[in-house]
Amino acid sequence: MSRSDVLVDADWVEAHGSDPGVVLVEVDEDTSAYDKGHIRNAVKIDWKADLQDPVRRDFVDQAGFEALLSDRGIANDDTVILYGGNNNWFAAYAYWYFKLYGHDKVKLLDGGRKKWELESRELVTDVPRREKTSYHAGEQDKAIRAFRDEVVASIGHKNLVDVRSPDEFAGRLLAPAHLPQEQAQRGGHIPTAKNVPWSKAADEDGTFKSDEALRALYGDEAGLDFGRDTIAYCRIGERSAHTWFVLHELLGQPNVKNYDGSWTEYGSLVGVPIEVGDGK
Amino acid sequence: MSTGPVSTDGCGAPAGGAQVSAAADAGSQAVVQGKVTRDGSAVPVGYARLLNSDGDFVAEVPLGEDGGFRFFAAPGSWTLRVLAPGNVRAERVVSADIGKVTELEVAV
Repeated sequence: MSRSDVLVDADWVEAHGSDPGVVLVEVDEDTSAYDKGHIRNAVKIDWKADLQDPVRRDFVDQAGFEALLSDRGIANDDTVILYGGNNNWFAAYAYWYFKLYGHDKVKLLDGGRKKWELESRELVTDVPRREKTSYHAGEQDKAIRAFRDEVVASIGHKNLVDVRSPDEFAGRLLAPAHLPQEQAQRGGHIPTAKNVPWSKAADEDGTFKSDEALRALYGDEAGLDFGRDTIAYCRIGERSAHTWFVLHELLGQPNVKNYDGSWTEYGSLVGVPIEVGDGK
Repeated sequence: MSTGPVSTDGCGAPAGGAQVSAAADAGSQAVVQGKVTRDGSAVPVGYARLLNSDGDFVAEVPLGEDGGFRFFAAPGSWTLRVLAPGNVRAERVVSADIGKVTELEVAV
């Protein structure tokens, strides 16, 4: 797999964003960003309202995903281009989610909304009208999603990559520094996890670093064993979707899972081992 | 606890960007907040990044419509870096303390 299979740049979006069979989707937690201005012809997906089950802590199910994509006018053979704020955290999460439900023709806009804005490219408020479709989702591909029991059993056996900031990893903060630190669960990290903050995989403009730089980051610097299976986690699974994208889609590692329960689940489990302190 | 318009249920950006006009109740938090201006006017499009004392990235928010940003940091010394269209970059060193709102204005 090459980068062009999974990434597009802003020039490509300007040239092809309105082509038949191409659907631009802005994915954010804060969807007011879309409402204030988005790339022409982009539809929006709300990370929480659209992708999460409203009652249980889980994703929308297969039928829910079908209903969502049908409503947005996305067909099974469309090429979906995802982008969003927060350096594409939620777009990467949606990318993983599209793959989870078997949509293969999906790519990320490298640099996401930030690079687009910093380059003063066009943003519009017109909401495109798309005909509804009858989207068919596949069964969830569990090969890319990790659950807590597998994570606990992986301690000391698989690569565990904690992609949160060093302060969260060490247990000094319970959330990223732009959010209130008011949660009740324990701080720290899963024993044997390596701390490779997601941000190290991206340049300041939000684009992904080169394959060579990424391989050096996870291999030589962090000490990941590329011969082993890997599970990435963060706090709620969206920053680790960004790292899942890097390891699985850019570097082509075969067995990489995102643990979407992440620290908000693990750090609240009774009886599981926790380590505190800085990474080694 | 009143923490202004920042969402508490995800890792994402504050809803609508941090509005500095909303009073922050520091409580047990170490708040770093401020406003980005150019020629005295708010810069509504841009990003504020918080870097730790090693220069490593820690967090980022889009600027609010009033040019505002807010972080809930750990106590210590931080570097705030502002990115805005036109290759604008500005940096300030700032210290955060528990129970305190550290205010700064960044003119670019």
